[in-house]
Amino acid sequence: MGLLKLLRKLKSESNKELRILLLGLDNAGKTTILKKLASEDINHITPTQGFNIKSVQSQGFKLNVWDIGGQRRIRPYWRNYFENTDVLIYVVDSTDKKRLEETGVELEELVTDEKLSGVPLLVFANKQDLLQAAPASDIADGLSLHTLSGRTYQIQACSALKGEGIQDGLEWVMKTVSKKKK
Amino acid sequence: MPEHATSTGRKTRRMPVQTQASINLIDLLYKITLLRCFIKWILRLVTGTCELQRITQKYKSGVCTVKIEESLQRSKFSEIRQMIEVEPEDIDAAIQQIISLKNISFDANSRFISCMKVCLEQIHGYDSLFCTIEELRVETYNSCNGNHEALLLKLWNLLQPENALKERVSRQWGEIGFQGTDPKTDFRGMGILGLKNLVYFAEVHNELARKTLLHSHHPQYGYSYAIVGINLTSMAYEFMSSGLLRTHFFNTVHGRPNVNHFNEVFSYLMFEFDKFWMKSEPENVMEFSRIRDEFNQTVEAVLKYVPSAKLSLDNSS
Repeated sequence: MGLLKLLRKLKSESNKELRILLLGLDNAGKTTILKKLASEDINHITPTQGFNIKSVQSQGFKLNVWDIGGQRRIRPYWRNYFENTDVLIYVVDSTDKKRLEETGVELEELVTDEKLSGVPLLVFANKQDLLQAAPASDIADGLSLHTLSGRTYQIQACSALKGEGIQDGLEWVMKTVSKKKK
Repeated sequence: MPEHATSTGRKTRRMPVQTQASINLIDLLYKITLLRCFIKWILRLVTGTCELQRITQKYKSGVCTVKIEESLQRSKFSEIRQMIEVEPEDIDAAIQQIISLKNISFDANSRFISCMKVCLEQIHGYDSLFCTIEELRVETYNSCNGNHEALLLKLWNLLQPENALKERVSRQWGEIGFQGTDPKTDFRGMGILGLKNLVYFAEVHNELARKTLLHSHHPQYGYSYAIVGINLTSMAYEFMSSGLLRTHFFNTVHGRPNVNHFNEVFSYLMFEFDKFWMKSEPENVMEFSRIRDEFNQTVEAVLKYVPSAKLSLDNSS
Protein backbone atom coordinates (compact mmCIF):
# COMPACT_ATOMS: atom_id res chain seq x y z
CA MET A 1 0.00 0.00 0.00
CA GLY A 2 2.84 2.28 0.93
CA LEU A 3 4.41 1.97 -2.48
CA LEU A 4 1.13 2.66 -4.23
CA LYS A 5 0.67 5.76 -2.17
CA LEU A 6 4.18 6.92 -3.04
CA LEU A 7 3.55 6.36 -6.73
CA ARG A 8 0.31 8.30 -6.54
CA LYS A 9 2.11 11.11 -4.78
CA LEU A 10 4.82 11.14 -7.45
CA LYS A 11 2.18 11.26 -10.15
CA SER A 12 0.39 14.19 -8.61
CA GLU A 13 3.76 15.96 -8.11
CA SER A 14 4.63 15.56 -11.77
CA ASN A 15 1.22 16.89 -12.69
CA LYS A 16 2.12 20.05 -10.90
CA GLU A 17 4.71 21.04 -13.46
CA LEU A 18 3.60 23.37 -16.24
CA ARG A 19 5.26 24.22 -19.48
CA ILE A 20 4.63 27.79 -20.54
CA LEU A 21 5.72 29.17 -23.87
CA LEU A 22 6.39 32.91 -24.23
CA LEU A 23 6.31 34.08 -27.83
CA GLY A 24 5.96 37.33 -29.74
CA LEU A 25 7.93 39.60 -32.09
CA ASP A 26 11.34 40.98 -31.12
CA ASN A 27 11.19 43.93 -28.72
CA ALA A 28 7.71 42.91 -27.46
CA GLY A 29 9.02 42.50 -23.91
CA LYS A 30 9.11 38.71 -23.47
CA THR A 31 12.37 38.60 -21.53
CA THR A 32 11.27 41.47 -19.28
CA ILE A 33 8.05 39.56 -18.49
CA LEU A 34 10.09 36.40 -17.82
CA LYS A 35 12.37 38.28 -15.44
CA LYS A 36 9.41 39.94 -13.72
CA LEU A 37 7.78 36.52 -13.22
CA ALA A 38 11.02 35.31 -11.64
CA SER A 39 11.32 38.55 -9.57
CA GLU A 40 14.67 39.38 -11.17
CA ASP A 41 16.31 42.69 -12.03
CA ILE A 42 15.17 44.02 -15.44
CA ASN A 43 17.80 46.74 -15.95
CA HIS A 44 20.39 44.71 -17.83
CA ILE A 45 18.28 42.99 -20.46
CA THR A 46 19.80 42.16 -23.86
CA PRO A 47 18.11 40.89 -27.04
CA THR A 48 17.51 37.14 -26.86
CA GLN A 49 19.64 35.13 -29.21
CA GLY A 50 18.15 31.64 -28.92
CA PHE A 51 16.05 31.29 -25.79
CA ASN A 52 15.92 31.74 -22.02
CA ILE A 53 14.24 29.40 -19.58
CA LYS A 54 13.29 29.95 -15.96
CA SER A 55 11.37 27.96 -13.39
CA VAL A 56 8.95 29.90 -11.23
CA GLN A 57 6.88 28.62 -8.29
CA SER A 58 3.27 29.72 -8.20
CA GLN A 59 0.42 28.37 -6.06
CA GLY A 60 2.10 24.99 -5.66
CA PHE A 61 2.85 24.69 -9.37
CA LYS A 62 6.30 24.69 -10.90
CA LEU A 63 6.12 26.80 -14.03
CA ASN A 64 8.82 26.18 -16.60
CA VAL A 65 8.71 29.31 -18.69
CA TRP A 66 10.37 29.23 -22.11
CA ASP A 67 11.16 32.63 -23.58
CA ILE A 68 12.11 32.23 -27.24
CA GLY A 69 13.75 35.01 -29.24
CA GLY A 70 11.36 36.90 -31.52
CA GLN A 71 13.53 38.06 -34.40
CA ARG A 72 12.52 36.89 -37.84
CA ARG A 73 15.41 34.49 -38.34
CA ILE A 74 14.59 32.68 -35.08
CA ARG A 75 10.82 32.35 -35.66
CA PRO A 76 11.17 29.16 -37.77
CA TYR A 77 12.54 27.47 -34.61
CA TRP A 78 9.49 28.36 -32.51
CA ARG A 79 7.72 25.16 -33.47
CA ASN A 80 10.53 23.05 -31.97
CA TYR A 81 9.23 24.17 -28.59
CA PHE A 82 5.49 23.53 -29.10
CA GLU A 83 5.33 19.97 -27.76
CA ASN A 84 3.57 19.51 -24.40
CA THR A 85 2.90 23.21 -23.95
CA ASP A 86 0.29 23.85 -21.23
CA VAL A 87 -0.20 27.57 -21.84
CA LEU A 88 0.87 29.88 -24.63
CA ILE A 89 1.60 33.46 -23.66
CA TYR A 90 1.80 35.80 -26.63
CA VAL A 91 3.34 39.21 -26.03
CA VAL A 92 2.51 42.27 -28.14
CA ASP A 93 4.19 45.69 -28.06
CA SER A 94 1.08 47.91 -27.89
CA THR A 95 3.03 50.92 -29.20
CA ASP A 96 4.24 49.17 -32.34
CA LYS A 97 1.25 49.87 -34.59
CA LYS A 98 3.33 49.37 -37.72
CA ARG A 99 3.89 45.74 -36.86
CA LEU A 100 0.46 44.89 -35.46
CA GLU A 101 -0.36 43.14 -38.71
CA GLU A 102 2.93 41.22 -38.69
CA THR A 103 2.37 40.04 -35.12
CA GLY A 104 -1.19 39.05 -36.07
CA VAL A 105 0.11 36.87 -38.90
CA GLU A 106 2.56 35.13 -36.57
CA LEU A 107 -0.17 34.50 -33.98
CA GLU A 108 -2.48 33.16 -36.67
CA GLU A 109 0.20 30.61 -37.59
CA LEU A 110 0.55 29.58 -33.96
CA VAL A 111 -3.15 29.05 -33.31
CA THR A 112 -3.62 27.02 -36.47
CA ASP A 113 -0.74 24.68 -35.60
CA GLU A 114 -1.89 21.22 -34.59
CA LYS A 115 0.66 20.86 -31.80
CA LEU A 116 -0.86 23.88 -30.09
CA SER A 117 -4.49 23.01 -30.65
CA GLY A 118 -6.62 23.61 -27.56
CA VAL A 119 -3.72 25.19 -25.63
CA PRO A 120 -5.04 28.16 -23.59
CA LEU A 121 -3.79 31.49 -24.91
CA LEU A 122 -2.95 34.57 -22.87
CA VAL A 123 -2.16 37.71 -24.86
CA PHE A 124 -0.21 40.40 -23.02
CA ALA A 125 -0.83 43.86 -24.49
CA ASN A 126 2.47 45.16 -23.14
CA LYS A 127 4.00 48.64 -22.70
CA GLN A 128 0.78 50.23 -21.44
CA ASP A 129 2.91 52.68 -19.43
CA LEU A 130 3.75 54.49 -22.68
CA LEU A 131 1.49 57.26 -23.94
CA GLN A 132 1.28 55.99 -27.50
CA ALA A 133 0.17 52.49 -26.40
CA ALA A 134 -3.01 51.21 -28.01
CA PRO A 135 -5.61 49.95 -25.54
CA ALA A 136 -5.91 46.20 -25.08
CA SER A 137 -9.26 46.17 -26.88
CA ASP A 138 -7.64 47.59 -30.04
CA ILE A 139 -4.92 44.95 -29.85
CA ALA A 140 -7.59 42.24 -29.47
CA ASP A 141 -9.34 43.58 -32.59
CA GLY A 142 -6.07 43.86 -34.51
CA LEU A 143 -5.28 40.23 -33.73
CA SER A 144 -8.90 39.17 -34.50
CA LEU A 145 -9.04 37.28 -31.21
CA HIS A 146 -12.84 37.03 -31.45
CA THR A 147 -12.49 34.64 -34.39
CA LEU A 148 -10.65 32.06 -32.25
CA SER A 149 -12.76 28.97 -31.74
CA GLY A 150 -12.27 25.99 -29.46
CA ARG A 151 -9.73 27.75 -27.34
CA THR A 152 -9.78 29.50 -23.98
CA TYR A 153 -8.08 32.85 -24.33
CA GLN A 154 -7.64 36.09 -22.47
CA ILE A 155 -6.16 39.49 -23.31
CA GLN A 156 -4.41 41.29 -20.50
CA ALA A 157 -3.16 44.88 -20.59
CA CYS A 158 0.20 45.15 -18.84
CA SER A 159 3.39 47.05 -18.32
CA ALA A 160 6.25 44.64 -17.73
CA LEU A 161 8.49 47.59 -16.90
CA LYS A 162 6.23 48.74 -14.07
CA GLY A 163 5.17 45.21 -13.20
CA GLU A 164 1.50 46.08 -13.72
CA GLY A 165 -0.90 43.45 -15.06
CA ILE A 166 1.64 40.62 -14.98
CA GLN A 167 0.23 39.13 -11.80
CA ASP A 168 -3.34 39.34 -13.16
CA GLY A 169 -2.22 37.46 -16.25
CA LEU A 170 -0.51 34.83 -14.15
CA GLU A 171 -3.64 34.40 -12.05
CA TRP A 172 -5.69 33.77 -15.17
CA VAL A 173 -3.11 31.15 -16.22
CA MET A 174 -3.32 29.40 -12.84
CA LYS A 175 -7.11 29.48 -12.81
CA THR A 176 -7.34 28.10 -16.35
CA VAL A 177 -4.88 25.26 -15.86
CA SER A 178 -6.29 24.16 -12.50
CA LYS A 179 -9.71 23.89 -14.13
CA LYS A 180 -8.17 21.86 -16.95
CA LYS A 181 -6.09 19.59 -14.71
CA LYS A 182 -9.15 18.64 -12.67
CA MET B 1 30.80 22.24 19.01
CA PRO B 2 29.30 19.74 21.42
CA GLU B 3 32.57 18.28 22.79
CA HIS B 4 33.66 21.68 23.93
CA ALA B 5 30.30 22.21 25.59
CA THR B 6 30.76 19.12 27.80
CA SER B 7 34.39 19.80 28.58
CA THR B 8 33.59 23.22 30.05
CA GLY B 9 32.17 21.46 33.13
CA ARG B 10 29.15 22.08 35.27
CA LYS B 11 30.20 25.33 36.86
CA THR B 12 30.26 27.32 33.65
CA ARG B 13 26.92 28.37 32.29
CA ARG B 14 25.91 26.57 29.12
CA MET B 15 26.09 28.77 26.12
CA PRO B 16 24.16 28.23 22.90
CA VAL B 17 26.29 26.28 20.45
CA GLN B 18 26.23 29.14 17.96
CA THR B 19 27.59 31.70 20.43
CA GLN B 20 30.37 29.34 21.42
CA ALA B 21 31.27 28.71 17.82
CA SER B 22 31.44 32.43 17.11
CA ILE B 23 33.58 32.99 20.22
CA ASN B 24 35.93 30.25 19.05
CA LEU B 25 36.08 31.93 15.66
CA ILE B 26 36.83 35.34 17.17
CA ASP B 27 39.49 33.75 19.32
CA LEU B 28 41.03 32.09 16.29
CA LEU B 29 40.98 35.31 14.26
CA TYR B 30 42.55 37.16 17.17
CA LYS B 31 45.35 34.59 17.37
CA ILE B 32 45.92 34.80 13.61
CA THR B 33 46.11 38.60 13.78
CA LEU B 34 48.54 38.43 16.69
CA LEU B 35 50.65 35.90 14.83
CA ARG B 36 50.59 38.05 11.69
CA CYS B 37 51.70 41.13 13.62
CA PHE B 38 54.44 39.13 15.26
CA ILE B 39 55.73 37.76 11.95
CA LYS B 40 55.59 41.25 10.43
CA TRP B 41 57.57 42.62 13.38
CA ILE B 42 60.23 39.90 13.09
CA LEU B 43 60.49 40.43 9.32
CA ARG B 44 60.84 44.15 9.77
CA LEU B 45 63.64 43.59 12.32
CA VAL B 46 65.48 41.16 10.07
CA THR B 47 65.05 42.81 6.66
CA GLY B 48 64.74 46.43 7.76
CA THR B 49 61.78 46.89 5.38
CA CYS B 50 58.04 47.11 6.00
CA GLU B 51 55.41 44.86 4.45
CA LEU B 52 54.60 47.32 1.66
CA GLN B 53 58.24 47.51 0.64
CA ARG B 54 58.59 43.75 0.67
CA ILE B 55 55.54 43.44 -1.58
CA THR B 56 56.86 45.96 -4.12
CA GLN B 57 60.19 44.16 -4.17
CA LYS B 58 58.80 40.67 -4.45
CA TYR B 59 55.79 40.95 -6.74
CA LYS B 60 55.18 42.41 -10.17
CA SER B 61 52.19 44.08 -11.90
CA GLY B 62 48.72 42.78 -11.01
CA VAL B 63 49.67 40.59 -8.07
CA CYS B 64 51.62 43.48 -6.53
CA THR B 65 48.55 45.76 -6.71
CA VAL B 66 46.27 43.13 -5.17
CA LYS B 67 48.72 42.52 -2.28
CA ILE B 68 49.29 46.24 -1.70
CA GLU B 69 45.54 46.79 -1.56
CA GLU B 70 45.11 43.98 0.98
CA SER B 71 47.94 45.32 3.08
CA LEU B 72 46.59 48.89 3.06
CA GLN B 73 43.09 47.64 3.96
CA ARG B 74 44.50 45.85 7.01
CA SER B 75 46.62 48.78 8.15
CA LYS B 76 46.35 49.81 11.78
CA PHE B 77 46.24 53.49 10.68
CA SER B 78 42.74 54.62 9.79
CA GLU B 79 44.23 57.31 7.48
CA ILE B 80 45.81 54.56 5.39
CA ARG B 81 42.68 52.39 5.32
CA GLN B 82 40.77 55.47 4.17
CA MET B 83 43.08 55.82 1.15
CA ILE B 84 41.58 52.63 -0.26
CA GLU B 85 37.98 53.56 0.46
CA VAL B 86 38.10 57.09 -0.94
CA GLU B 87 40.49 58.24 -3.65
CA PRO B 88 43.04 60.69 -2.19
CA GLU B 89 43.01 64.07 -3.93
CA ASP B 90 46.78 64.10 -4.16
CA ILE B 91 48.27 60.63 -4.56
CA ASP B 92 51.88 61.83 -4.10
CA ALA B 93 50.96 63.44 -0.80
CA ALA B 94 49.14 60.28 0.26
CA ILE B 95 52.25 58.19 -0.41
CA GLN B 96 54.38 60.63 1.61
CA GLN B 97 51.86 60.24 4.42
CA ILE B 98 52.20 56.45 4.29
CA ILE B 99 55.99 56.81 4.41
CA SER B 100 55.92 59.04 7.46
CA LEU B 101 53.17 57.12 9.32
CA LYS B 102 54.93 53.83 8.83
CA ASN B 103 58.35 55.36 9.31
CA ILE B 104 59.67 53.83 6.11
CA SER B 105 63.28 54.33 5.18
CA PHE B 106 64.58 53.48 1.74
CA ASP B 107 67.34 54.50 -0.62
CA ALA B 108 66.76 57.00 -3.37
CA ASN B 109 66.90 54.38 -6.12
CA SER B 110 64.06 52.40 -4.65
CA ARG B 111 61.07 51.93 -6.90
CA PHE B 112 58.83 52.03 -3.87
CA ILE B 113 57.24 55.43 -4.58
CA SER B 114 56.61 54.83 -8.27
CA CYS B 115 55.25 51.39 -7.52
CA MET B 116 52.87 52.65 -4.84
CA LYS B 117 51.68 55.37 -7.18
CA VAL B 118 50.82 52.91 -9.94
CA CYS B 119 49.04 50.66 -7.45
CA LEU B 120 46.88 53.44 -6.03
CA GLU B 121 46.06 54.72 -9.51
CA GLN B 122 45.10 51.24 -10.69
CA ILE B 123 42.89 50.62 -7.66
CA HIS B 124 40.99 53.90 -7.94
CA GLY B 125 41.14 54.00 -11.74
CA TYR B 126 39.13 50.79 -11.83
CA ASP B 127 36.32 52.27 -9.76
CA SER B 128 36.15 55.48 -11.76
CA LEU B 129 36.18 53.54 -15.04
CA PHE B 130 33.22 51.55 -13.79
CA CYS B 131 31.34 54.84 -13.17
CA THR B 132 32.05 55.93 -16.76
CA ILE B 133 30.94 52.55 -18.13
CA GLU B 134 27.75 52.73 -16.09
CA GLU B 135 26.99 56.23 -17.44
CA LEU B 136 27.32 54.94 -21.01
CA ARG B 137 25.16 51.92 -20.24
CA VAL B 138 22.26 53.91 -18.82
CA GLU B 139 22.32 56.30 -21.81
CA THR B 140 19.58 54.81 -23.97
CA TYR B 141 19.79 54.92 -27.75
CA ASN B 142 17.80 57.86 -29.04
CA SER B 143 17.19 58.27 -32.77
CA CYS B 144 16.70 62.03 -32.29
CA ASN B 145 20.28 62.30 -31.00
CA GLY B 146 22.60 63.17 -33.91
CA ASN B 147 25.64 61.64 -32.21
CA HIS B 148 23.89 58.33 -31.67
CA GLU B 149 22.70 58.22 -35.27
CA ALA B 150 26.15 59.10 -36.61
CA LEU B 151 27.70 56.34 -34.51
CA LEU B 152 25.20 53.80 -35.81
CA LEU B 153 25.84 54.74 -39.45
CA LYS B 154 29.56 54.61 -38.77
CA LEU B 155 29.16 51.02 -37.60
CA TRP B 156 27.44 50.15 -40.86
CA ASN B 157 30.13 51.80 -42.99
CA LEU B 158 32.95 50.14 -41.08
CA LEU B 159 31.46 46.69 -41.44
CA GLN B 160 29.94 47.02 -44.90
CA PRO B 161 32.16 49.55 -46.76
CA GLU B 162 31.27 48.13 -50.16
CA ASN B 163 27.57 47.97 -49.51
CA ALA B 164 25.73 51.26 -49.03
CA LEU B 165 22.80 51.44 -46.64
CA LYS B 166 19.85 52.39 -48.82
CA GLU B 167 17.54 53.66 -46.10
CA ARG B 168 17.91 54.44 -42.42
CA VAL B 169 15.06 52.03 -41.59
CA SER B 170 15.81 48.98 -43.63
CA ARG B 171 15.93 45.19 -43.70
CA GLN B 172 19.62 45.58 -44.51
CA TRP B 173 20.44 45.98 -40.80
CA GLY B 174 19.91 42.24 -40.54
CA GLU B 175 23.11 41.74 -42.56
CA ILE B 176 25.20 42.94 -39.63
CA GLY B 177 23.03 41.07 -37.17
CA PHE B 178 20.40 43.47 -35.85
CA GLN B 179 16.97 41.97 -35.29
CA GLY B 180 14.61 44.09 -37.33
CA THR B 181 14.57 47.11 -39.59
CA ASP B 182 15.70 49.63 -36.97
CA PRO B 183 18.56 48.83 -34.58
CA LYS B 184 17.39 51.46 -32.07
CA THR B 185 15.35 48.88 -30.12
CA ASP B 186 18.17 46.36 -29.91
CA PHE B 187 20.51 48.09 -27.47
CA ARG B 188 18.13 47.64 -24.53
CA GLY B 189 19.81 47.45 -21.14
CA MET B 190 23.30 48.01 -22.56
CA GLY B 191 22.46 51.40 -24.11
CA ILE B 192 25.16 53.38 -25.89
CA LEU B 193 27.82 51.21 -24.27
CA GLY B 194 26.77 48.35 -26.57
CA LEU B 195 27.01 50.56 -29.66
CA LYS B 196 30.38 52.05 -28.65
CA ASN B 197 31.81 48.57 -28.10
CA LEU B 198 30.68 47.43 -31.55
CA VAL B 199 32.03 50.57 -33.25
CA TYR B 200 35.41 50.27 -31.49
CA PHE B 201 35.89 46.66 -32.53
CA ALA B 202 34.87 47.46 -36.12
CA GLU B 203 37.16 50.50 -36.25
CA VAL B 204 40.30 49.47 -34.39
CA HIS B 205 40.28 45.80 -35.36
CA ASN B 206 38.51 46.20 -38.68
CA GLU B 207 39.97 43.14 -40.34
CA LEU B 208 39.10 40.89 -37.37
CA ALA B 209 35.63 42.37 -37.06
CA ARG B 210 34.87 41.74 -40.71
CA LYS B 211 36.24 38.22 -40.46
CA THR B 212 33.98 37.64 -37.45
CA LEU B 213 31.03 39.10 -39.34
CA LEU B 214 31.75 36.71 -42.18
CA HIS B 215 31.65 33.76 -39.74
CA SER B 216 28.30 35.00 -38.47
CA HIS B 217 26.94 34.46 -42.00
CA HIS B 218 27.94 30.79 -42.00
CA PRO B 219 25.04 28.69 -43.38
CA GLN B 220 24.98 26.34 -40.38
CA TYR B 221 26.93 28.03 -37.59
CA GLY B 222 25.62 31.50 -38.38
CA TYR B 223 24.46 33.90 -35.65
CA SER B 224 23.34 37.54 -35.38
CA TYR B 225 26.59 39.50 -35.16
CA ALA B 226 25.30 42.70 -33.52
CA ILE B 227 22.92 40.95 -31.12
CA VAL B 228 25.64 38.58 -29.96
CA GLY B 229 27.86 41.65 -29.59
CA ILE B 230 25.32 43.32 -27.30
CA ASN B 231 25.14 40.11 -25.25
CA LEU B 232 28.94 40.16 -24.97
CA THR B 233 28.87 43.80 -23.86
CA SER B 234 26.63 42.56 -21.09
CA MET B 235 29.19 39.87 -20.24
CA ALA B 236 32.05 42.39 -20.12
CA TYR B 237 29.89 44.70 -18.00
CA GLU B 238 29.14 41.89 -15.52
CA PHE B 239 32.85 41.09 -15.25
CA MET B 240 33.52 44.77 -14.64
CA SER B 241 30.81 45.29 -12.02
CA SER B 242 31.72 42.15 -10.08
CA GLY B 243 35.35 43.28 -9.93
CA LEU B 244 36.59 40.29 -11.92
CA LEU B 245 38.34 42.50 -14.50
CA ARG B 246 40.62 43.94 -11.82
CA THR B 247 43.20 41.20 -12.38
CA HIS B 248 43.20 41.88 -16.11
CA PHE B 249 43.45 45.67 -15.80
CA PHE B 250 46.08 45.53 -13.05
CA ASN B 251 48.17 43.27 -15.27
CA THR B 252 47.80 45.22 -18.49
CA VAL B 253 47.33 48.91 -17.66
CA HIS B 254 50.17 50.72 -15.91
CA GLY B 255 47.97 53.34 -14.28
CA ARG B 256 44.35 54.35 -14.74
CA PRO B 257 42.35 52.29 -17.26
CA ASN B 258 40.03 54.16 -19.64
CA VAL B 259 37.02 53.34 -21.84
CA ASN B 260 39.24 52.07 -24.65
CA HIS B 261 40.74 49.50 -22.33
CA PHE B 262 37.20 48.29 -21.70
CA ASN B 263 36.57 48.33 -25.47
CA GLU B 264 39.61 46.08 -25.82
CA VAL B 265 38.09 43.59 -23.38
CA PHE B 266 34.93 43.61 -25.49
CA SER B 267 36.99 43.06 -28.66
CA TYR B 268 38.69 40.12 -26.98
CA LEU B 269 35.34 38.59 -26.00
CA MET B 270 33.90 39.11 -29.48
CA PHE B 271 36.86 37.49 -31.20
CA GLU B 272 37.25 34.65 -28.70
CA PHE B 273 33.53 33.92 -28.52
CA ASP B 274 33.41 33.54 -32.29
CA LYS B 275 36.23 31.00 -32.13
CA PHE B 276 34.55 29.20 -29.23
CA TRP B 277 31.22 29.12 -31.06
CA MET B 278 32.65 27.80 -34.34
CA LYS B 279 34.60 25.13 -32.45
CA SER B 280 31.44 24.03 -30.61
CA GLU B 281 29.79 23.30 -33.96
CA PRO B 282 26.30 24.16 -32.67
CA GLU B 283 23.30 22.57 -34.29
CA ASN B 284 21.73 25.98 -34.76
CA VAL B 285 21.50 29.45 -33.23
CA MET B 286 19.15 28.18 -30.50
CA GLU B 287 22.21 26.81 -28.73
CA PHE B 288 23.46 30.31 -28.06
CA SER B 289 22.56 30.52 -24.34
CA ARG B 290 24.27 27.23 -23.53
CA ILE B 291 27.45 28.06 -25.44
CA ARG B 292 27.52 31.61 -24.10
CA ASP B 293 27.32 30.26 -20.53
CA GLU B 294 30.15 27.82 -21.18
CA PHE B 295 32.26 30.58 -22.67
CA ASN B 296 31.45 32.82 -19.72
CA GLN B 297 32.59 30.16 -17.25
CA THR B 298 35.84 29.66 -19.14
CA VAL B 299 36.76 33.35 -19.09
CA GLU B 300 35.55 33.74 -15.51
CA ALA B 301 37.80 30.90 -14.35
CA VAL B 302 40.83 32.58 -15.91
CA LEU B 303 40.01 35.93 -14.29
CA LYS B 304 39.39 34.29 -10.91
CA TYR B 305 42.19 31.80 -10.63
CA VAL B 306 45.05 32.98 -12.84
CA PRO B 307 46.93 35.83 -11.13
CA SER B 308 48.72 36.74 -14.38
CA ALA B 309 45.46 36.81 -16.41
CA LYS B 310 45.46 39.10 -19.45
CA LEU B 311 42.55 39.14 -21.89
CA SER B 312 44.57 40.21 -24.90
CA LEU B 313 43.51 39.81 -28.49
CA ASP B 314 45.57 37.11 -30.13
CA ASN B 315 44.89 37.17 -33.85
CA SER B 316 47.77 34.93 -34.85
CA SER B 317 45.51 31.92 -35.39
